[in-house]
Amino acid sequence: MTPRGRIVSAASLTPFVSSLLAIGLAFLVGGIFLEARGKDALLAYRILFERGLGDADGLTETFKQMAPLLIISGGLLISLRAGVWNIGLDGQFMVGALMAGVVGAALVGDVSRWLMLLAGAVVGFAGGLVWATVPALLRVRWGLNEIITTLMMNYVGLNLTSWLVKGPARDKARVAPETVKIPIADRLPAIPGTEVHVGLIAGLVVVVLVAVLFRSTVLGYMLNVLGRNPRAAIHAGLPVGRLTALALLLSGGFAGLAGASDVLGVQGFFKANWDPGYGFTGFALVYLARLNPVWLVPFAFFFSFLLIGGESMPRRADVPTYYVEMLEGLMLIFFAAAVYLEGLYAPGARRTARDESEPIVSPSGLVGETPTSVLSPGHPQGPSVVPSGDPS
Amino acid sequence: MNGIDLSDFIAAMLATGLLRAVPLVLAGLGEAVAERAGLLNLGIEGMMLSGCFFGFWAAYHTESLTVGMLAAVAAGLVLGLIFGFLTISLRVDQVLVGLAITIFSAGLTGFLFRDLFGGQNVSAAVDPLQVAIPVLRDIPIIGEPFFDRQLIFYLGWGLVPVFAWLLVRTRFGLNVRAVGENPFAADAAGVNVIRTRYLAIAIGGAMAGFAGGYLAVADLKIFTIGMTVGQGFIALAITMLGRWNPYRIVVGAILFGMLRALADGLPILGVDVRTEFIGMLPYIGIMLGLVVLAGRTALPAALGVPYARGQR
Repeated sequence: MTPRGRIVSAASLTPFVSSLLAIGLAFLVGGIFLEARGKDALLAYRILFERGLGDADGLTETFKQMAPLLIISGGLLISLRAGVWNIGLDGQFMVGALMAGVVGAALVGDVSRWLMLLAGAVVGFAGGLVWATVPALLRVRWGLNEIITTLMMNYVGLNLTSWLVKGPARDKARVAPETVKIPIADRLPAIPGTEVHVGLIAGLVVVVLVAVLFRSTVLGYMLNVLGRNPRAAIHAGLPVGRLTALALLLSGGFAGLAGASDVLGVQGFFKANWDPGYGFTGFALVYLARLNPVWLVPFAFFFSFLLIGGESMPRRADVPTYYVEMLEGLMLIFFAAAVYLEGLYAPGARRTARDESEPIVSPSGLVGETPTSVLSPGHPQGPSVVPSGDPS
Repeated sequence: MNGIDLSDFIAAMLATGLLRAVPLVLAGLGEAVAERAGLLNLGIEGMMLSGCFFGFWAAYHTESLTVGMLAAVAAGLVLGLIFGFLTISLRVDQVLVGLAITIFSAGLTGFLFRDLFGGQNVSAAVDPLQVAIPVLRDIPIIGEPFFDRQLIFYLGWGLVPVFAWLLVRTRFGLNVRAVGENPFAADAAGVNVIRTRYLAIAIGGAMAGFAGGYLAVADLKIFTIGMTVGQGFIALAITMLGRWNPYRIVVGAILFGMLRALADGLPILGVDVRTEFIGMLPYIGIMLGLVVLAGRTALPAALGVPYARGQR
């Protein structure tokens, strides 16, 4: 699945023991829960795997599902690496999706298919970026912590897109509140030889871009420094405000692009009350991939098949789809515990434990009159979350 | 105004606003204690949602308000202790754990509601014990909104001075504040940092569950998937805006309760505006509030900082 060898060395595999442990425990505890609810856990898991991985049809769906997850998690990774909590992915996704739907449908027939799709992708990205601009400005100009503001912008975004699609952006010719449909022939084409739309390639490109950003650019290096040690970033004279804003804007833009990919590739239009809620899945995904761009690919595949397989569970195993969301929560909870164990047993554990007493999150950014307090932001991946041997 | 009596309108708005404010106040009071002790509880949304579900589930089967509320509090408390274990004992990042608990709760409650109730909207047959206070009830405009309410409504508001007293006047409150400002100094002064933080998050979780129980059991008597729609997060923001002062939290909660009540109120006045549009207002209001008060708030210095003895 992933390029091995120079990119993923054996040593860099060890941090994923925690991720795999978390996944295993989540499945175990989830299975016990299912049995306690009188379900057949083994049947449920068999259906999950069969549907998501078992046949060509399921695999196609899983690969399609990877597109938005790869794009959104690539963006989230940028912000988390920079120590910026973008919890507003869902709002950014929805705004991007709606804009792509409206602009795409408006251009159909007037311009060539590729130009229309390109325009849709650009406005999708722009929509997410604009939505992230508000928290970015509030953060940089007023020192408001982005955790609260991105959360609030989620709900504003959900309400705004819902209002727009029921009002101004609605296709008047249709009964249901949806935007004008983009004809199937004009949507994202399939990758030759498959039924998977090219959004998957876009997702892989995003991941490669993010990997290159952190592997070989100065900007990526500065973002890393900001995330790992905000004080050092200030003392080194890095443009902390601009870096923070950039991290938020990029992750917002990619969330919007993910929305565009779903609308231009799968849905064809934006409909009211459609919220796939990729934000939380993105969080679980990026954390289990240990904020490592290369590992986003296999984990995106894993979460995609969970989402797709989960859709078949209600009908065939009498297990509601919400089970997948519950699994994601359990994975994150066990992941948190596993990271602690790592700190205990890793070589140089003393140092790690010491680092842990540093403020991993200090939302005193909420207050900030001085640039210094504006800066102390979320600092999500304390040294214990990103493996220290990480080459990027 | 379409012939609608203005005083009736104000009374209706005030009534709805106060009702909408109660869960925010309850969750906010608990969060104030947790935040003062240095714990930023983003799991509050999930704890509230679990309170909604388990409270509703218990009330549906027992038809008892008390059992429902106890179940709601217990659900919040359990999740609060899980949050505490991971962030206090294991010193894992609070934002990560909070989000994990919120995601888990959303999945768990959605699952159980589909599984146990088939996703059908059924209502719990509980008697919320309406209590009308004589004389006061007859005051024009404010009489009904304030003094013709469910017992639990008064109980909720009654907790406000209790929390003010707890935080400011008691030894526990002093410990909480010390632990949130400087756990090292507090430890040196003989305060049990770990125990104080556990107590604080237990209170925070239980109150979030209580808030959820109020919403689903006493107020609406139904459960819908994801019914808290960010109210936990709003309570968290209001707590920050109110700088952990219970009375200021109340002011904030009523303001945002009124903003939510607008969605019911404006159509009555004949104002043609879609509910989604008004639905944005409380969230925008929170951000505006944060901007206005940004320079004047100060967070507990050790908020979000895990404490490990002897490591500084």
